Amino acid sequence: MRVWVVIAAYNEASVIGRVINEVERRGYTIAVVDDGSSDRTAEAAAAAHVLVRHPINLGQGAALQTGIDFALERGADVIVTFDADGQHRAADIEKLIEAIRTADVDFALGSRFLGCSDRMPVSRRVLLKAATLFTQLTTRLRISDTHNGLRAMTRRGASTLRLRQNRMAHASEILSQIAASGLRYIEVPVTIEYSAYSLAKGQTVGDALMILLDLFARRLYR
Amino acid sequence: MIAQTVISMLLIGVVAYAASERRRSPVVAWLSIIAAAAGLYFTWTPDHATQVAIWAGVGRGVDLILYIWVCISLIVLLNLHLKLRSQMELVTVMARMIALAEARRRFSERSALPQPVSGRAFPD
Repeated sequence: MRVWVVIAAYNEASVIGRVINEVERRGYTIAVVDDGSSDRTAEAAAAAHVLVRHPINLGQGAALQTGIDFALERGADVIVTFDADGQHRAADIEKLIEAIRTADVDFALGSRFLGCSDRMPVSRRVLLKAATLFTQLTTRLRISDTHNGLRAMTRRGASTLRLRQNRMAHASEILSQIAASGLRYIEVPVTIEYSAYSLAKGQTVGDALMILLDLFARRLYR
Repeated sequence: MIAQTVISMLLIGVVAYAASERRRSPVVAWLSIIAAAAGLYFTWTPDHATQVAIWAGVGRGVDLILYIWVCISLIVLLNLHLKLRSQMELVTVMARMIALAEARRRFSERSALPQPVSGRAFPD
């Protein structure tokens, strides 16, 4: 069965090459979705097996949906989403796939709180805990982490996702769609390695408020 | 009388606009209709407007109508925002179609799909 790793990248020229090399060493098929980057991300991602380029910047959620669509179209059996900023470990992909295989679930969700999150600032920890509590209350999923970009899904699971939140709220949308699908999921301990680079790209309290507004606004129209 | 007629026509316009939007964003449409209906009622019954205004702590009936108008403006602004979001979803679909078509073309130009390393996938 074919495993595809989807990496959404926006202005990640300085790190995307290293991330692709680490994943490729493990033998997975990689699809990088360049989300309208203004730097040399596309050139740096040339080592990927597939490069899908958005003509304009749409957001990470839109890029992931594009990558998932492409992987499904090409017959992927398992799709893994992986962040482009280098904070995920390629070794954890194997753990996610193994969990899907052995636990007979459709989604394996990476959890930094079950695993390890080196150098996570206290403010980020508090923000994520609050976001996790909010997600637990709104989706009734029993999860320990939210907005973790490292996740794996079967073909059946990926086919149920239809992301309409283009930007950061997509992570909450994925969880709510998992809950709505009724498909089985499992959390898997993973390691997040924070760096100054990934922290600078990470979410702030202001971003969290925007995510809440996005989720609320999406309920107001069809 | 002239002012009442002008305001009423504007509020009827708001109701018509809200009704036309009710399929796409029913919550916003109903909020607009309720606010406009309240505005119409108070425009033609200023005594009631004053009573409600005093009860609500606004002071004068005319101020109450003004506040209702501000509320309607904010709701219409929200509706415009939602319309922009809706347009953005269409843009996303189009951009995705273009991106996927281009990727398919590049993909077909290249040789066969790289095969996953054995042992990295499920056993058949």
